[in-house]
Amino acid sequence: MFCIGIRGNLLCWSVLVMLVVLPLGMLRAQRNASPKGVVDLNGQAVDPFHRSPGKVVVLFFVRTDCPISNRFAPTIQEIGRKYRERAEFYLVYPVKSETAEQIRKHVKAYGYQLTVLRDPDYTLVKRAETRVTPEAAVFSIDGKLLYHGRINNWYAEFGKSRSAPTTQDLVDAVSAAMAGKPVAVASVPAVGCFLPDRP
Amino acid sequence: MKARHAAIAVPAILSMMLAFLADQGQTSTTRARTPAERTSGDVTFTRDIAPIVFHYCSPCHRPGEAAPFPLLSYEDTAKFARQIAYITEKRIMPPWLPAPGELKFQGEMRLTDKQIVLFKRWAEAGAPRGNPADLPPAPVFAQGWQLGKPDLILQARKPYLLPAGGTDNYWNFIFPTRLSGTHWVKAIEIRPGEKRVVHHANVLIDRLHSSRRQETQPGAGFAGMELRIESETFDPDSHLFFWKPGSIPHEEPPGMALRLDAGDDFVLNTHLQPSGKPEQIKPSIGLFFTKQPATKFPMLLELQNDKALDIPPGTSDFVVTDEFTLAADVDLLAIYPHAHYLGKELRATATKPDGTALTLILIPRWDLNWQAVFYYEQPVYLPKGTQVAMRYVYDNSEANIANPFHPPQRVVGGNRTTDEMAHLWLQVLPRGTEEEQEAARRSLQEAVARHDIARDPDDFAQQYNLGAMLQARGDLGEALQHYRAAVSVRPQDAIANNALGGALLAVGEANAALGPLRAAVKAQPDYFPAHYNLGNALASREQFREAAEEFRKAVRLRPDDSMAQANLGGALAESGELDEAQRHLERAIQLDPRNTVAQENLTEVKRLRAGGPKP
Repeated sequence: MFCIGIRGNLLCWSVLVMLVVLPLGMLRAQRNASPKGVVDLNGQAVDPFHRSPGKVVVLFFVRTDCPISNRFAPTIQEIGRKYRERAEFYLVYPVKSETAEQIRKHVKAYGYQLTVLRDPDYTLVKRAETRVTPEAAVFSIDGKLLYHGRINNWYAEFGKSRSAPTTQDLVDAVSAAMAGKPVAVASVPAVGCFLPDRP
Repeated sequence: MKARHAAIAVPAILSMMLAFLADQGQTSTTRARTPAERTSGDVTFTRDIAPIVFHYCSPCHRPGEAAPFPLLSYEDTAKFARQIAYITEKRIMPPWLPAPGELKFQGEMRLTDKQIVLFKRWAEAGAPRGNPADLPPAPVFAQGWQLGKPDLILQARKPYLLPAGGTDNYWNFIFPTRLSGTHWVKAIEIRPGEKRVVHHANVLIDRLHSSRRQETQPGAGFAGMELRIESETFDPDSHLFFWKPGSIPHEEPPGMALRLDAGDDFVLNTHLQPSGKPEQIKPSIGLFFTKQPATKFPMLLELQNDKALDIPPGTSDFVVTDEFTLAADVDLLAIYPHAHYLGKELRATATKPDGTALTLILIPRWDLNWQAVFYYEQPVYLPKGTQVAMRYVYDNSEANIANPFHPPQRVVGGNRTTDEMAHLWLQVLPRGTEEEQEAARRSLQEAVARHDIARDPDDFAQQYNLGAMLQARGDLGEALQHYRAAVSVRPQDAIANNALGGALLAVGEANAALGPLRAAVKAQPDYFPAHYNLGNALASREQFREAAEEFRKAVRLRPDDSMAQANLGGALAESGELDEAQRHLERAIQLDPRNTVAQENLTEVKRLRAGGPKP
């Protein structure tokens, strides 16, 4: 299944090899340590890194009251839909004051169909080194942070957007991660709403 | 028959003004006093930050308004402390384009450097609350309509569905007023619908229903960034009705109301930015009337040089200028600079006859998203002979984030979002008595038209306007030249052809009038004036049956037009259709008892029906 859409057999092979050589002990250890405070909208603890073993994990950090992350909704949804076979996508609401009910309404209004998580303790925020919304983070199948930062360069500054983005930073990183290739750029700062109490 | 014939053929020449208009506007009115500044000691919310936030931020950052989150309390503000420090330091917020200068604008939303430092120090200190006793009273805002209940509320008939994503949208809504008699409008409050996606909106008056032709079905609205509105008679545009986030509707001073005639339409031009989810946009406008008819007649002077816009890709400092010398003493009330996405620095200056120069406005970092009309705090007196100049700089390089093309492409002047514009509107009030104001308005408008034509003889609108102005003051010979020039630029244009035909008819050249008038009805079969004038031209040639057909079409388009009914009756009478003739003549008199043409013709028809001899 890792060969779908990947150019060249060698790449498929290398992905499979990575899977095989992954130290089992480490996997087990991580599985036991569920990220602190990360819950779904029913308050159930969720560990996004171990729900779909063997898949790249992508987190989108958003909030209900950030116009920039809202404007990205169709893009976020489209990326999640396009690559869902080979990567697991999560929509993460890290702002503590946003209630499950507010988030439910927001998810519905913006037509999100991704798995929704809350991260009021910033466990995922810290692990993804997130500072603003919207911001994305890409983790390898063994949970290593490969990329974090902007989705693309649509916004250059607050209130300054291009008519269309001319880079695809997140898609590039996801594609590389899925292909088991090194991610060329590990981080590009995002433009968006500052998360409270983040540097 | 001769007497009656002459009566029929009174040509109602409808001179048309083509006004080339776009977004117009006003800024919010002056709010409470500007908050104090402190430069040393601890910075707290209650003492230092709240006064600034309440004055500059809360008007938009409150429920129901355009901004995405409220800034009405300590909790609201502390949550965004670092972000506020960042965007105020970069002067992204509050949005205010003009640089500080000699002239002050109403409702200036520009922070001082000291206020910006306060935000920074407050955020760095961890956003302390401070002593509750220091907190100023929270701002109080009117709920709903900002000027109270309007005298007339007009709702958009159909909502516009804005897609979740994609580029900016420009949509126009038509509001028929359906009033009888003349009303005087002192204010228009625009409620743009979902405020968070509407970047700005402005209302234009459409006295000729010319925008309706752009709708695929009545009430559907139509797309387009710039509007071209046609209006009848010499009636230059005069008022600016504008909405931008946080603005309080502008109320015209006594005596400066806008005339609203029965049947006039308003057109609302909106700039919409997709929000991430589909949005239904259903705006409404509220009209506030006054019983006091206008005694002051402002007008909009437009400087523009779109023809000079041919910006090579990669150029970051393309300059376009225009100058115009005032032909009368005026007070400058408001200014509205307009460019699209490549605009970089916009400047307007005035050089008085004594040589003193004045910066009317300088926008060092143009941003289409925050365009507005700027009202001066005090009217700016500009004597006759003052030269007004605009100098706009454009950036068509990759470095311009707003550039609609990637990679950059050649961009020329035009109405589409991807075209560029170089326009500057000045709202001026001529000085003097009502008659002197009227004369000043005419000479200013004529000077603008001649100025534009000198630069670009193919400027259709100004060739047309100048023709209409000359015709209005009785100079038909020169008017004909300019109408001919307009028709040669746009041979298919119904209005220009009709005006040319009408003017030819007025100088007694009915034969020559036929061609342009036939072109006009062909170009626009629902154009009443062209059918009416063509009927008159045919009647002049004693082609009464054909004339009756044209008047019949005119009557079908405007059944309540007394002159069209009268002329149909006359042409029918000439064709021997006395019964039908009488019905239309009676209808004409019913519509307008003072219609002497209809009265004379009715007397004649009755005499003929009674068996009287033909004259």
